[in-house]
Amino acid sequence: MSTPRPKTGSSEFDQLFSSRIAEGGRVKTGIVELDEMLRGGFMPGDAVMLAGSAGTGKTTLALQYLVNGVKRGEPGIYVTFEELPDQIYRDAKNFGWDLRKMEEEDKFRVICTSPSLVLESGDGSLLDDVLRDIQPRRLVIDSLSHLEMFVKRDDMRMEAYRIVRYLKTHGVSSILLWESPQISGGAFSVTDVGLSFLVDCILALKPVEIESSLRKALVILKMRGSDHDKRFREYEITPAGIKIESAFSNYEGIISGSPRKVASEKFMELFRGASEKQKKA
Amino acid sequence: MSGGEILSTLLASEVRGDLLILFHKNPGLIDTVDGIARRIGRTTITVISDLRELLQLGLLKQKRIGASEVVFLDRARDREILESVANHLKTVQIGVAK
Repeated sequence: MSTPRPKTGSSEFDQLFSSRIAEGGRVKTGIVELDEMLRGGFMPGDAVMLAGSAGTGKTTLALQYLVNGVKRGEPGIYVTFEELPDQIYRDAKNFGWDLRKMEEEDKFRVICTSPSLVLESGDGSLLDDVLRDIQPRRLVIDSLSHLEMFVKRDDMRMEAYRIVRYLKTHGVSSILLWESPQISGGAFSVTDVGLSFLVDCILALKPVEIESSLRKALVILKMRGSDHDKRFREYEITPAGIKIESAFSNYEGIISGSPRKVASEKFMELFRGASEKQKKA
Repeated sequence: MSGGEILSTLLASEVRGDLLILFHKNPGLIDTVDGIARRIGRTTITVISDLRELLQLGLLKQKRIGASEVVFLDRARDREILESVANHLKTVQIGVAK
Protein backbone atom coordinates (compact mmCIF):
# COMPACT_ATOMS: atom_id res chain seq x y z
CA MET A 1 0.00 0.00 0.00
CA SER A 2 1.44 3.37 -0.93
CA THR A 3 1.89 6.00 1.74
CA PRO A 4 -0.26 9.13 1.52
CA ARG A 5 1.40 12.16 -0.03
CA PRO A 6 1.16 15.50 1.71
CA LYS A 7 -0.93 18.07 -0.11
CA THR A 8 0.68 20.93 -1.99
CA GLY A 9 1.74 23.74 0.29
CA SER A 10 1.32 21.64 3.41
CA SER A 11 3.26 22.60 6.48
CA GLU A 12 6.07 20.56 7.95
CA PHE A 13 3.63 19.56 10.68
CA ASP A 14 1.25 18.11 8.06
CA GLN A 15 4.10 16.26 6.42
CA LEU A 16 5.28 14.85 9.72
CA PHE A 17 1.72 13.85 10.48
CA SER A 18 1.35 12.08 7.16
CA SER A 19 4.56 10.17 7.79
CA ARG A 20 3.18 9.10 11.17
CA ILE A 21 0.05 7.77 9.48
CA ALA A 22 2.27 5.66 7.25
CA GLU A 23 4.08 4.13 10.19
CA GLY A 24 1.81 1.12 10.23
CA GLY A 25 3.16 0.06 6.86
CA ARG A 26 6.62 -0.42 5.46
CA VAL A 27 8.46 1.30 2.64
CA LYS A 28 8.78 -1.54 0.17
CA THR A 29 11.87 -1.70 -1.97
CA GLY A 30 9.88 -3.64 -4.57
CA ILE A 31 12.60 -6.30 -4.63
CA VAL A 32 10.53 -9.16 -3.22
CA GLU A 33 13.38 -11.09 -1.56
CA LEU A 34 14.85 -7.93 -0.03
CA ASP A 35 11.46 -6.93 1.36
CA GLU A 36 11.23 -10.39 2.90
CA MET A 37 14.68 -9.92 4.45
CA LEU A 38 13.47 -6.57 5.84
CA ARG A 39 10.26 -8.17 7.15
CA GLY A 40 8.15 -6.15 4.76
CA GLY A 41 10.40 -3.22 3.81
CA PHE A 42 12.21 -0.29 5.42
CA MET A 43 10.56 1.55 8.28
CA PRO A 44 8.86 4.75 7.00
CA GLY A 45 11.05 7.85 7.25
CA ASP A 46 14.15 5.84 8.04
CA ALA A 47 17.61 6.79 6.83
CA VAL A 48 19.24 3.74 5.28
CA MET A 49 22.92 3.43 4.53
CA LEU A 50 23.76 1.33 1.49
CA ALA A 51 27.44 0.52 1.75
CA GLY A 52 29.67 -1.27 -0.69
CA SER A 53 32.76 -0.99 -2.80
CA ALA A 54 32.77 0.06 -6.46
CA GLY A 55 30.88 -2.24 -8.81
CA THR A 56 28.72 -3.88 -6.17
CA GLY A 57 25.49 -2.37 -7.56
CA LYS A 58 24.76 0.41 -5.06
CA THR A 59 23.47 2.78 -7.75
CA THR A 60 21.38 0.05 -9.39
CA LEU A 61 19.74 -0.99 -6.13
CA ALA A 62 19.08 2.63 -5.16
CA LEU A 63 17.52 3.44 -8.55
CA GLN A 64 15.43 0.28 -8.40
CA TYR A 65 14.13 1.37 -4.98
CA LEU A 66 13.12 4.77 -6.39
CA VAL A 67 11.59 3.40 -9.60
CA ASN A 68 9.56 0.83 -7.65
CA GLY A 69 8.46 3.69 -5.38
CA VAL A 70 7.21 5.68 -8.38
CA LYS A 71 5.25 2.61 -9.52
CA ARG A 72 3.59 2.60 -6.09
CA GLY A 73 2.70 6.30 -6.36
CA GLU A 74 5.62 7.53 -4.23
CA PRO A 75 7.68 10.19 -6.04
CA GLY A 76 11.44 9.99 -5.68
CA ILE A 77 14.58 12.09 -5.99
CA TYR A 78 18.06 10.88 -6.89
CA VAL A 79 20.76 13.31 -5.79
CA THR A 80 24.09 12.65 -7.45
CA PHE A 81 27.42 14.25 -6.70
CA GLU A 82 29.27 12.03 -9.09
CA GLU A 83 27.66 11.08 -12.37
CA LEU A 84 25.84 13.56 -14.59
CA PRO A 85 22.12 12.82 -14.97
CA ASP A 86 22.40 11.87 -18.66
CA GLN A 87 24.64 8.97 -17.67
CA ILE A 88 22.12 7.89 -15.04
CA TYR A 89 19.23 8.12 -17.57
CA ARG A 90 21.23 5.96 -19.97
CA ASP A 91 22.23 3.34 -17.39
CA ALA A 92 18.68 3.18 -16.00
CA LYS A 93 17.29 2.66 -19.51
CA ASN A 94 19.42 -0.48 -19.78
CA PHE A 95 17.35 -1.88 -16.91
CA GLY A 96 14.11 -0.77 -18.60
CA TRP A 97 13.58 2.27 -16.38
CA ASP A 98 12.62 5.42 -18.28
CA LEU A 99 13.59 8.12 -15.79
CA ARG A 100 13.05 10.98 -18.26
CA LYS A 101 9.42 9.94 -18.71
CA MET A 102 9.00 9.81 -14.93
CA GLU A 103 10.49 13.30 -14.72
CA GLU A 104 8.06 14.60 -17.32
CA GLU A 105 5.24 13.23 -15.19
CA ASP A 106 6.70 15.03 -12.13
CA LYS A 107 7.18 11.76 -10.29
CA PHE A 108 10.95 11.71 -10.32
CA ARG A 109 13.93 14.05 -10.32
CA VAL A 110 17.63 13.50 -10.83
CA ILE A 111 19.46 16.35 -9.12
CA CYS A 112 23.11 16.79 -9.93
CA THR A 113 25.03 19.17 -7.75
CA SER A 114 28.10 19.70 -5.66
CA PRO A 115 28.29 18.40 -2.07
CA SER A 116 29.45 21.84 -0.94
CA LEU A 117 26.11 23.32 -2.05
CA VAL A 118 24.13 20.75 -0.10
CA LEU A 119 26.23 21.61 2.94
CA GLU A 120 25.68 25.36 2.59
CA SER A 121 23.44 26.70 5.30
CA GLY A 122 20.98 29.47 4.68
CA ASP A 123 17.33 30.37 4.34
CA GLY A 124 16.70 28.27 1.27
CA SER A 125 18.18 24.81 1.27
CA LEU A 126 19.14 23.46 -2.10
CA LEU A 127 16.54 20.73 -1.86
CA ASP A 128 13.66 22.91 -0.63
CA ASP A 129 12.38 23.79 -4.12
CA VAL A 130 12.54 20.23 -5.41
CA LEU A 131 10.87 18.87 -2.31
CA ARG A 132 8.05 21.38 -2.76
CA ASP A 133 7.91 20.61 -6.47
CA ILE A 134 7.33 16.88 -6.47
CA GLN A 135 6.82 16.09 -2.77
CA PRO A 136 8.97 12.99 -2.72
CA ARG A 137 8.48 10.08 -0.36
CA ARG A 138 11.87 8.58 -1.24
CA LEU A 139 15.27 10.10 -1.79
CA VAL A 140 18.71 8.75 -2.58
CA ILE A 141 22.01 10.55 -2.04
CA ASP A 142 24.87 9.24 -4.19
CA SER A 143 27.01 9.44 -2.23
CA LEU A 144 27.62 10.52 1.33
CA SER A 145 31.28 9.63 0.82
CA HIS A 146 31.66 12.70 -1.41
CA LEU A 147 30.89 14.98 1.52
CA GLU A 148 34.20 13.88 3.01
CA MET A 149 36.02 15.93 0.39
CA PHE A 150 34.32 19.12 1.56
CA VAL A 151 34.21 18.88 5.33
CA LYS A 152 36.79 18.23 7.99
CA ARG A 153 36.86 14.68 9.24
CA ASP A 154 35.65 15.79 12.68
CA ASP A 155 32.67 17.65 11.15
CA MET A 156 31.58 14.81 8.88
CA ARG A 157 29.31 13.22 11.45
CA MET A 158 27.60 16.50 12.29
CA GLU A 159 27.00 17.39 8.63
CA ALA A 160 25.66 13.93 7.85
CA TYR A 161 23.41 14.22 10.90
CA ARG A 162 22.07 17.55 9.59
CA ILE A 163 21.19 16.00 6.22
CA VAL A 164 19.55 12.97 7.83
CA ARG A 165 17.49 15.20 10.15
CA TYR A 166 16.46 17.46 7.25
CA LEU A 167 15.07 14.48 5.32
CA LYS A 168 13.38 12.99 8.38
CA THR A 169 11.74 16.34 9.18
CA HIS A 170 10.26 16.31 5.68
CA GLY A 171 8.99 12.76 6.12
CA VAL A 172 11.23 11.40 3.38
CA SER A 173 12.63 7.85 3.50
CA SER A 174 16.21 8.03 2.34
CA ILE A 175 19.00 5.80 1.12
CA LEU A 176 22.48 7.20 1.57
CA LEU A 177 25.13 5.48 -0.51
CA TRP A 178 28.53 4.92 1.03
CA GLU A 179 31.65 3.87 -0.83
CA SER A 180 33.37 1.50 1.55
CA PRO A 181 36.56 -0.11 0.30
CA GLN A 182 37.20 -1.32 3.88
CA ILE A 183 34.65 -4.10 3.63
CA SER A 184 36.52 -5.84 0.84
CA GLY A 185 39.29 -6.84 3.23
CA GLY A 186 39.46 -8.97 6.32
CA ALA A 187 38.48 -6.14 8.67
CA PHE A 188 34.85 -5.07 8.54
CA SER A 189 33.89 -1.50 9.20
CA VAL A 190 31.18 0.31 7.26
CA THR A 191 32.53 3.82 7.76
CA ASP A 192 35.52 5.01 9.70
CA VAL A 193 33.92 8.34 10.56
CA GLY A 194 31.21 7.00 12.86
CA LEU A 195 28.20 7.40 10.56
CA SER A 196 26.73 3.98 11.32
CA PHE A 197 25.12 5.36 14.48
CA LEU A 198 23.30 8.10 12.56
CA VAL A 199 21.36 5.82 10.27
CA ASP A 200 18.50 3.49 11.13
CA CYS A 201 19.40 0.67 8.81
CA ILE A 202 22.58 -0.52 7.12
CA LEU A 203 22.69 -2.73 4.04
CA ALA A 204 26.11 -3.92 2.99
CA LEU A 205 27.00 -5.17 -0.48
CA LYS A 206 30.12 -7.20 -0.68
CA PRO A 207 32.16 -8.99 -3.34
CA VAL A 208 33.06 -12.53 -2.33
CA GLU A 209 35.59 -14.85 -3.90
CA ILE A 210 34.37 -18.43 -4.12
CA GLU A 211 36.22 -21.08 -6.09
CA SER A 212 38.11 -18.46 -8.10
CA SER A 213 35.03 -16.56 -9.19
CA LEU A 214 33.64 -13.28 -7.94
CA ARG A 215 30.19 -13.46 -6.44
CA LYS A 216 28.19 -10.85 -4.55
CA ALA A 217 26.70 -10.95 -1.06
CA LEU A 218 24.12 -8.70 0.60
CA VAL A 219 23.59 -8.49 4.33
CA ILE A 220 21.49 -6.33 6.63
CA LEU A 221 23.88 -5.20 9.36
CA LYS A 222 21.44 -3.15 11.35
CA MET A 223 17.74 -2.30 11.37
CA ARG A 224 16.40 -0.20 14.21
CA GLY A 225 13.08 -1.28 15.64
CA SER A 226 12.63 -4.36 13.51
CA ASP A 227 13.66 -7.95 13.14
CA HIS A 228 15.46 -8.77 9.90
CA ASP A 229 17.19 -11.57 8.04
CA LYS A 230 20.70 -11.94 9.47
CA ARG A 231 22.06 -14.15 6.70
CA PHE A 232 24.37 -13.25 3.85
CA ARG A 233 22.34 -13.58 0.67
CA GLU A 234 23.80 -13.92 -2.77
CA TYR A 235 22.61 -11.45 -5.38
CA GLU A 236 23.12 -10.72 -9.04
CA ILE A 237 22.80 -7.66 -11.21
CA THR A 238 20.46 -8.83 -13.97
CA PRO A 239 19.04 -6.92 -16.99
CA ALA A 240 15.95 -6.26 -14.82
CA GLY A 241 17.91 -4.99 -11.81
CA ILE A 242 19.05 -6.58 -8.58
CA LYS A 243 17.94 -10.18 -8.05
CA ILE A 244 18.51 -11.72 -4.61
CA GLU A 245 19.20 -15.42 -4.44
CA SER A 246 19.56 -17.87 -1.58
CA ALA A 247 21.81 -17.56 1.46
CA PHE A 248 25.44 -18.66 1.42
CA SER A 249 24.50 -21.50 3.75
CA ASN A 250 27.45 -23.78 3.04
CA TYR A 251 30.12 -21.16 3.61
CA GLU A 252 31.53 -19.29 6.56
CA GLY A 253 33.78 -16.24 6.66
CA ILE A 254 31.76 -14.43 3.95
CA ILE A 255 32.50 -11.18 5.78
CA SER A 256 36.21 -11.60 5.05
CA GLY A 257 35.59 -11.75 1.32
CA SER A 258 37.36 -15.12 1.12
CA PRO A 259 34.93 -17.64 2.61
CA ARG A 260 35.57 -21.32 3.20
CA LYS A 261 33.21 -24.23 3.26
CA VAL A 262 31.76 -25.05 6.67
CA ALA A 263 33.15 -28.17 8.32
CA SER A 264 29.94 -30.18 7.89
CA GLU A 265 29.91 -29.39 4.17
CA LYS A 266 33.57 -30.47 3.87
CA PHE A 267 32.70 -33.70 5.65
CA MET A 268 29.75 -34.24 3.31
CA GLU A 269 32.00 -33.72 0.29
CA LEU A 270 34.48 -36.24 1.62
CA PHE A 271 31.66 -38.66 2.36
CA ARG A 272 30.17 -38.22 -1.15
CA GLY A 273 33.60 -38.70 -2.69
CA ALA A 274 34.23 -41.85 -0.69
CA SER A 275 30.82 -43.35 -1.48
CA GLU A 276 31.27 -42.64 -5.22
CA LYS A 277 34.64 -44.36 -5.13
CA GLN A 278 33.02 -47.31 -3.39
CA LYS A 279 30.30 -47.49 -6.05
CA LYS A 280 32.88 -47.49 -8.85
CA ALA A 281 34.86 -50.21 -7.13
CA MET B 1 10.44 37.98 -28.21
CA SER B 2 9.61 36.04 -31.37
CA GLY B 3 10.60 32.41 -31.98
CA GLY B 4 13.20 33.56 -34.49
CA GLU B 5 14.76 36.00 -32.04
CA ILE B 6 14.84 33.35 -29.31
CA LEU B 7 16.56 30.93 -31.67
CA SER B 8 19.18 33.54 -32.58
CA THR B 9 19.80 34.24 -28.90
CA LEU B 10 20.14 30.55 -28.09
CA LEU B 11 22.61 29.85 -30.85
CA ALA B 12 24.60 33.09 -30.71
CA SER B 13 27.83 31.40 -29.62
CA GLU B 14 29.50 28.03 -29.29
CA VAL B 15 29.60 28.35 -25.49
CA ARG B 16 25.88 29.02 -25.39
CA GLY B 17 25.33 25.90 -27.50
CA ASP B 18 27.43 23.89 -25.05
CA LEU B 19 25.43 25.27 -22.13
CA LEU B 20 22.14 24.41 -23.83
CA ILE B 21 23.27 20.84 -24.45
CA LEU B 22 24.51 20.51 -20.85
CA PHE B 23 21.24 21.68 -19.32
CA HIS B 24 19.04 19.74 -21.73
CA LYS B 25 20.91 16.51 -21.15
CA ASN B 26 21.03 17.19 -17.41
CA PRO B 27 17.90 19.13 -16.49
CA GLY B 28 18.47 18.48 -12.78
CA LEU B 29 21.84 20.17 -12.71
CA ILE B 30 22.21 22.78 -9.96
CA ASP B 31 25.65 24.34 -9.72
CA THR B 32 27.66 27.50 -9.34
CA VAL B 33 28.91 29.37 -12.41
CA ASP B 34 32.32 27.95 -11.63
CA GLY B 35 30.99 24.40 -11.46
CA ILE B 36 29.00 24.78 -14.68
CA ALA B 37 32.04 26.15 -16.53
CA ARG B 38 34.08 23.17 -15.35
CA ARG B 39 31.41 20.72 -16.51
CA ILE B 40 31.70 21.97 -20.12
CA GLY B 41 35.49 22.18 -19.92
CA ARG B 42 35.73 25.96 -19.89
CA THR B 43 36.71 28.71 -17.51
CA THR B 44 34.30 30.91 -15.56
CA ILE B 45 35.29 34.02 -17.46
CA THR B 46 34.43 32.47 -20.83
CA VAL B 47 30.93 31.35 -19.83
CA ILE B 48 29.72 34.25 -17.69
CA SER B 49 28.29 36.46 -20.47
CA ASP B 50 26.52 33.53 -22.16
CA LEU B 51 25.05 32.40 -18.85
CA ARG B 52 23.81 35.94 -18.28
CA GLU B 53 22.03 35.88 -21.66
CA LEU B 54 20.33 32.59 -20.84
CA LEU B 55 19.31 33.97 -17.46
CA GLN B 56 17.81 37.04 -19.14
CA LEU B 57 15.95 34.80 -21.54
CA GLY B 58 14.51 33.02 -18.51
CA LEU B 59 15.76 29.61 -19.61
CA LEU B 60 18.01 29.48 -16.55
CA LYS B 61 17.25 30.64 -13.05
CA GLN B 62 19.51 31.85 -10.29
CA LYS B 63 19.24 31.24 -6.56
CA ARG B 64 21.35 32.02 -3.52
CA ILE B 65 22.31 29.00 -1.44
CA GLY B 66 24.17 30.18 1.64
CA ALA B 67 27.16 32.10 0.34
CA SER B 68 26.92 30.70 -3.18
CA GLU B 69 24.91 31.76 -6.19
CA VAL B 70 23.64 28.74 -8.13
CA VAL B 71 22.19 28.40 -11.62
CA PHE B 72 19.66 25.82 -12.82
CA LEU B 73 17.23 25.13 -15.65
CA ASP B 74 13.69 26.51 -15.40
CA ARG B 75 11.85 23.47 -16.74
CA ALA B 76 8.54 25.27 -17.33
CA ARG B 77 10.16 28.17 -19.19
CA ASP B 78 12.28 25.70 -21.14
CA ARG B 79 9.14 23.98 -22.40
CA GLU B 80 7.67 27.34 -23.47
CA ILE B 81 10.87 28.31 -25.27
CA LEU B 82 11.09 24.96 -27.07
CA GLU B 83 7.49 25.30 -28.19
CA SER B 84 8.07 28.81 -29.43
CA VAL B 85 11.18 27.77 -31.37
CA ALA B 86 9.40 24.72 -32.78
CA ASN B 87 6.52 26.90 -33.99
CA HIS B 88 8.98 29.27 -35.60
CA LEU B 89 10.80 26.42 -37.36
CA LYS B 90 7.52 25.21 -38.83
CA THR B 91 7.18 28.51 -40.64
CA VAL B 92 10.70 28.44 -42.04
CA GLN B 93 11.00 27.07 -45.55
CA ILE B 94 14.36 25.58 -46.36
CA GLY B 95 15.68 25.04 -49.87
CA VAL B 96 12.52 26.17 -51.64
CA ALA B 97 13.40 27.46 -55.12
CA LYS B 98 11.54 30.52 -56.35
